[in-house]
Amino acid sequence: MGYMFTQFFGNYLLNNQYVTAEQLIEGIHIKSKTRLKLGVLAIDAGYMTAAQVEEVHERQMLVDKRIGDIAVEMGYLTEAQVEELLGNQKKGYLLLGQALVDKGFMTNDQFEEAISNYKSKYKIDDSVSEEASDLKAAEMVKELCDFSYEDSKMYTDYVVLLLKNLVRFVGDDFAPIKPVLEKATVKYKSVSQKVKGSFSMDMAVAFDDENSMVEFANRYSDEMFTVDEMEYIEAAACDFINIHNGLFTVNVSSESNEELTLTPPEVFEGKTDIEVEAIVFPIKFTFGEVKFIIA
Amino acid sequence: MVIGETKVLICDDSILSRKKMKDFLVAAGCKEVFEAADGETAVETYKANKPDVVFMDIVMPKKDGIGAVKDIIAFDEKAKIVMASSVGTQALLKDALKAGAMDFLQKPISNDSLLDVINKLA
Repeated sequence: MGYMFTQFFGNYLLNNQYVTAEQLIEGIHIKSKTRLKLGVLAIDAGYMTAAQVEEVHERQMLVDKRIGDIAVEMGYLTEAQVEELLGNQKKGYLLLGQALVDKGFMTNDQFEEAISNYKSKYKIDDSVSEEASDLKAAEMVKELCDFSYEDSKMYTDYVVLLLKNLVRFVGDDFAPIKPVLEKATVKYKSVSQKVKGSFSMDMAVAFDDENSMVEFANRYSDEMFTVDEMEYIEAAACDFINIHNGLFTVNVSSESNEELTLTPPEVFEGKTDIEVEAIVFPIKFTFGEVKFIIA
Repeated sequence: MVIGETKVLICDDSILSRKKMKDFLVAAGCKEVFEAADGETAVETYKANKPDVVFMDIVMPKKDGIGAVKDIIAFDEKAKIVMASSVGTQALLKDALKAGAMDFLQKPISNDSLLDVINKLA
């Protein structure tokens, strides 16, 4: 199953008010330490209802047996289904759901409803290939971002690549938040770069606080820079957008033979008011918020 | 040439990219590692130190990497220069090779590919 369904599932839970932003971030935080329970896997596969899972859990309090055995005894699962489910333990979006259920932020019922709506809405099933995942991701980005411009395919490709690069270079513990078109104010620092050519844009990664920027930089560079080494921290933010925009220009040139060029990244210190309306795309990481601004 | 006798020049406007490459090359045993943060400094540093291998970014202030390659090749036509850039489009690749660069590495660059290039060229 594709790499970005966890992030989008998080966004789905948030947009449909299953959880608050704070609860979501806490869920993402503890997701890595969570083991998938059989009940969650059975709900995801459509083998059991939330009510049946509750029933099996209640029964387990009375008898010293494994959940799978009880579910088989009660006739809810076959032995073969239990085997199959146990072999299916590493699904990111399920881990997130499980973490939120464990924390008491969602009930099993709500989880059942959310996961089945999410999967049917985006026609996600367990056989989605890597290539199809890219298309699904594009579909979700399109819906999330609602780009109604002439170049909406370019913008969509740009954001899909951005999310992939965030997973690749910074980490997968984030939820994308719906972008807004506004005259943004950056509270702490931003780093910007221009893409020039037939498709041109001014883009920036912006931080509203020092801690988020330091964490972002250290994740990217795999170092432990402190605020006293601000030159390196700024360079890490510059390198991230430079590599991301570079990969984008390579993709564009190989798909359409169009040559885009980049300007050297620039750092903007302190509070900055951006004079023009721009797409402001917040990404909530467990360590804080990072905003991408695209004009 | 063995790596212990190799002098390398890293041209990149990112202090972090330079640090990462330099840390690795020093640890790998390179004799000397020089740095330049823009194209003009790259040309001056080349002339002053005659390094065996040059890693050259493309998007840099003052003078870009392609311009710096042309100037270095005009000074020393045997210079061994490898482009190390995030923008590996076909057109730039062509420009770089035409200017005299010998190879092209797409960023992010792995330590292995750095060593491969040095072993091949130095």
